[in-house]
Amino acid sequence: MENAVKRAQPIIGVDLSRLNSSGEQPALGERTLAMETRGLSLYYGDKQALDGIDIVIPERQVTAFIGPSGCGKSTLLRCFNRMNDLIDGCRIEGEVLLGGEDIYLPSVDPAELRRRVGMVFQKPNPFPKSVYENVAYGLRLQGIKKRRVLDETVEWSLRAAALWDEVKDRLHDSAFGLSGGQQQRLVIARAIAVQPQVILLDEPASALDPISTLKIEELINELKTDYTIVIVTHNMQQAARVSDYTAFMYMGDLVEFDLTGTIFTNPAKKQTEDYITGRYG
Amino acid sequence: MSGRSLRSWIASGSPWVWLNAGAVAISVVMVLGLLALIAVRGLSHFWPHAVSAVEYRESGGEIVSLAGELVEWETVSAVQAGVAGADPGASIRRVLIKTGNRDLGGLDFRWLSAPQIVGMSEPENLLVAERREWGNFYGALVAVRSEGAVVAAGESAWPELERRLEHSNDLSERIRELKAGDIGSLNYRLERLRLERRTLELDGADTPAALAEIEAAVEALTASYRELEDELAALTRQLERDAMVALTASGTEVEIPLSKVVRVYRPNAMGVFAKIGHYLEKLWEFVADDPREANTEGGIFPAIYGTVLMVLLMSVMVTPLGVMAAVYLREYARQGLLVRAIRVAVNNLAGVPSIVYGVFGLGFFVYAVGGTIDEVFFAEALPAPTFGTGGLMWASLTLALLTLPVVIVSTEEGLSRVPRAIREGSLALGATRAETLWRTVLPMASPAIMTGVILAVARAAGEVAPLMLVGVVKLAPSLPLDLNYPFLHAERKFMHLGFHIYDVGFQSPNVEAARPLVYATALLLVVVIVLLNVVAIRIRNALREKYRVLEN
Repeated sequence: MENAVKRAQPIIGVDLSRLNSSGEQPALGERTLAMETRGLSLYYGDKQALDGIDIVIPERQVTAFIGPSGCGKSTLLRCFNRMNDLIDGCRIEGEVLLGGEDIYLPSVDPAELRRRVGMVFQKPNPFPKSVYENVAYGLRLQGIKKRRVLDETVEWSLRAAALWDEVKDRLHDSAFGLSGGQQQRLVIARAIAVQPQVILLDEPASALDPISTLKIEELINELKTDYTIVIVTHNMQQAARVSDYTAFMYMGDLVEFDLTGTIFTNPAKKQTEDYITGRYG
Repeated sequence: MSGRSLRSWIASGSPWVWLNAGAVAISVVMVLGLLALIAVRGLSHFWPHAVSAVEYRESGGEIVSLAGELVEWETVSAVQAGVAGADPGASIRRVLIKTGNRDLGGLDFRWLSAPQIVGMSEPENLLVAERREWGNFYGALVAVRSEGAVVAAGESAWPELERRLEHSNDLSERIRELKAGDIGSLNYRLERLRLERRTLELDGADTPAALAEIEAAVEALTASYRELEDELAALTRQLERDAMVALTASGTEVEIPLSKVVRVYRPNAMGVFAKIGHYLEKLWEFVADDPREANTEGGIFPAIYGTVLMVLLMSVMVTPLGVMAAVYLREYARQGLLVRAIRVAVNNLAGVPSIVYGVFGLGFFVYAVGGTIDEVFFAEALPAPTFGTGGLMWASLTLALLTLPVVIVSTEEGLSRVPRAIREGSLALGATRAETLWRTVLPMASPAIMTGVILAVARAAGEVAPLMLVGVVKLAPSLPLDLNYPFLHAERKFMHLGFHIYDVGFQSPNVEAARPLVYATALLLVVVIVLLNVVAIRIRNALREKYRVLEN
């Protein structure tokens, strides 16, 4: 009954004025797609973690995955750059397409794939090197040795991650000297230094304080003009604040995927509404 | 009441704290006691002890004069001391005196019973002469002779002796340098030429031209050898010119050529500063010189050198091998039953008695591998073995095998402590697993690797048993690292401090004289191991500082 009623107001107390003021988002079908999964199932040994997921990731947009703990949202995210390959006994069925090509084909080099699909993790994980060397890490992997190119790219990446002004005087100090929030932005700078097409963010702000979280969210907003961003978050307000599209997952299934405004104001499924209004999860 | 307070005292936990603190205290006392014992016993050996002149009534009743250093007093039962017709319950004091003069008396130590000592004094004119043969001489200087003629006697003899001894020691040093340096190097080159000719013969390439070439080289070397030989003969003639004439306590006059004397001193006439100077000189000789007199005199430099070189070679061998094995076990191998079994086996290898490694090293490295290497690469030297006998190389390899488990275990530990997040961070930037390993994981595990190396060094430096089978000798003719091409002679036998302790203490013809050296050598072995460890620990701490905050 309730589901049938069209709501004008969001069902939880989040501010969706951002979405409303910028006008209606175009429907998914009109977007260019960066990535796509077809019938993606994933098993850890005998246990099924993802069950036939079909989802599309629109280009230069922010897509958020929400859902209760253990629902498979991080697992799904890690399928996009084959991070699950590293786990013993992990098996995948179905396809994951990047630019129309299946990334699980044997001919695909996972290292090359991960250069195109970067990832930022829940906890900041800078390397035990200087700030500069952290950002230059991916470039050095590609064999770039020219000092000038490295300098420029490091500066550009740090500026893009809104960190340059804070670290420009201590580029050669250990990255461990930075605060948690700065470290997380450093890790983002490190990810964008290699110019990926897609950036995967796995709960990037869950270990940070509110001010650092805000900075990360602002950063995501800026980055989406150049990059496709997929973010996993526990925090529904955050999903509402930063994302254009939202997917709700539950027990390895994709329950609902739509415009963020729609998910938060007028979800099609009762399960989604129950989760968003905090009735479980 | 008191029962309850006892219970509450136990419940408060303070007995437990006392117990723990007591255990620590006992450990500390034991370690410090051990170090103090070997330090005192070892270091006091170099101090110029007073020389006593003793009037002693022999069991037969006649009075004899003796001179020497009093080594130690003790109280024993009279029966044990060999007093005829003694009451079984009686005990007497006796003293061990080092009388030296082994060439005259046959023994250089004897026990004197206190009741039979008639008189004892410390006359200033008694001298100690350290000789290259026959141990110390104790007596009084009479005269200095040169080419058979007396050049100084009486009071003026002592300064003359000191002057001439300095000159003769300079000559000895030059002769030694000539023999070990130039002549040794010539001999080495001649030997190589001989082997070269043998190689040509074996290969059937002994054309007249090639042989003539070698012959010419041999000719040239022999010519310069003759020159050196002449020089040597001249120096030797010069050296044998001088001699000292001295009177022993029993009144025998002896002539001692100065070429056989290392140093003379009159300890009873020395002031404190002279004694300190003498002490430092002896200490330096101990650390920096070659051994003399079946290792009971002189220094132990070759043993220090051999120990350090072997430990370094061992570290160089064990570190890459252990790290690679650990990387495979931890990073690449599929974790399962087989890997678990291998890990258990590796851990158990650490518990295998070291002599077993020695036997393995002898059977496998020396005989099998070394023998094959000789047949294939050093056929020209056969039947004399090159690698087919114990040597530095096989000793280092055997010890590397012995310490491999330690390095594997601690490297694995270090690898497992590198956070998954760091590896994923690297992979997510497009690094392959190998790149991740080289650029982040191994550097972060390097402090743990160094810990393994530290443990390995500590264990290897102290091992003796396996070395006795694979290359350590009592006296090595040349150092395993010298200025002759190819510089590092890994096939050579070498000396080792641990074995030196065993040899000097238990295999020596003159155990009493060598005993202080056992302590001194033991102290030095401890010092060398501590120094090696300190270096390794400093490297590890620097690495730790660099890769700090793993738990961030």
